[in-house]
Amino acid sequence: MTLLGRDVIEVEALVTDRYLDALLMEADPVGPDSMGTGPSPRRRPWFMTALGLGADQVARVQLDSGVRLASERLTRDLPRFHPSFRFEERLAVRLAEAAASMHLPLAAGGESGARLVTLPVPTSALAGDQPASDEHPAREPSPRNPAPRPMLVSGAVAASALSLAGAAWVAWRRARVHGSPMARAARAAHSMRDRSTPAMRGRPA
Amino acid sequence: MARPVFRRSGAAESAAPRIAHLDLDRPLVEAALRDPARFEALYRRYVAQVYSFAFYELGNHHAAEDATARTFMSALANLPRFDERARPEDGEGASTFKVWLFQIARNGIANERRSARRHPETVLEEPIAAMIADPLNVEEDAVRRDEASLAWRAVGRLPGDRRRALVLRFVNELSTAEIAGVMGRSEGAIRVLLHRGLRAVARDLGAGSAESPEPRRRA
Repeated sequence: MTLLGRDVIEVEALVTDRYLDALLMEADPVGPDSMGTGPSPRRRPWFMTALGLGADQVARVQLDSGVRLASERLTRDLPRFHPSFRFEERLAVRLAEAAASMHLPLAAGGESGARLVTLPVPTSALAGDQPASDEHPAREPSPRNPAPRPMLVSGAVAASALSLAGAAWVAWRRARVHGSPMARAARAAHSMRDRSTPAMRGRPA
Repeated sequence: MARPVFRRSGAAESAAPRIAHLDLDRPLVEAALRDPARFEALYRRYVAQVYSFAFYELGNHHAAEDATARTFMSALANLPRFDERARPEDGEGASTFKVWLFQIARNGIANERRSARRHPETVLEEPIAAMIADPLNVEEDAVRRDEASLAWRAVGRLPGDRRRALVLRFVNELSTAEIAGVMGRSEGAIRVLLHRGLRAVARDLGAGSAESPEPRRRA
């Protein structure tokens, strides 16, 4: 095909394309117009520039009547197919199963399906402090001693057998450590050191 | 469903080409990336379109179902790797979820066709038989079936690329830019394919009304 012949077919193709845009837009009223974006203005193809053709000249190129009729026939008659509902639902189930299996790796740090759960554990227990009492009142949250962070529990964590009860048990154990004889002895020694005089503290043992 | 996805912005004649993208699927894609279970919304939106495309390409109900299933399973598995290239600077290489999905479908269908060539017992079905008849209007339904059958055969006789472009344009209602993305060709090449395909269909429909049906040969 000569260069001119190629140019001609491209101009005709552009005209056909514009016609199809209009035709299919008409067939589909829920187009971009309804979204307020308007029809798409097209840039001028290279061959129009090369041939010095403007948009008005392209508009003057007559659309082939056969092409017009064929376009209308295809728009109207070309059937669309839908899979059987049985197949559609079966595939939906397969996809859901695949999606569920994709959830599992997220347990390592993802947030998918996760919920924030604040455990009913005293602040002091999680902070490693003694239970609140008149003698040792619970400390207010501060930058140095923040409030307990909520625990991230997702489906995958539950699947690895770490339940809410388990998490509560761990927190209880941490709180109990300070009530053990060893912890009490350590605290007593620590308080005795605090009460000792600076001179005593400075003396070698 | 809103059809055109691409919008050209700026002065039509003077400015450099810019494609401002209106990807209607973006919220659904983002939701599916956060939670794969939300992929179902994308699946429901496109299952019929992908199936239709596969059915036109393969001409067989079971093969089309297989291709559809593989397309969506692959799309779900690879969704984290989907890269929406729809910024203005992406130009003609712009891609959306829809384009990406149809690219997967096209590759899957090509594999299916290669497999069908190795197993020649594959039967090409008459698709119009699959159309649901309207029992209340038998006469009109028969006319519609005849017309649909003629259109189907005319498109079926086209060479592969022209048929594919016409099906994507008229059945799936993709824009020229989207078809270019799916088929890996330039927009100009797609316009010429469509134009030549329509001319061939026009000749076929004009001359072939009395023609006896014949099985299609696929490219």
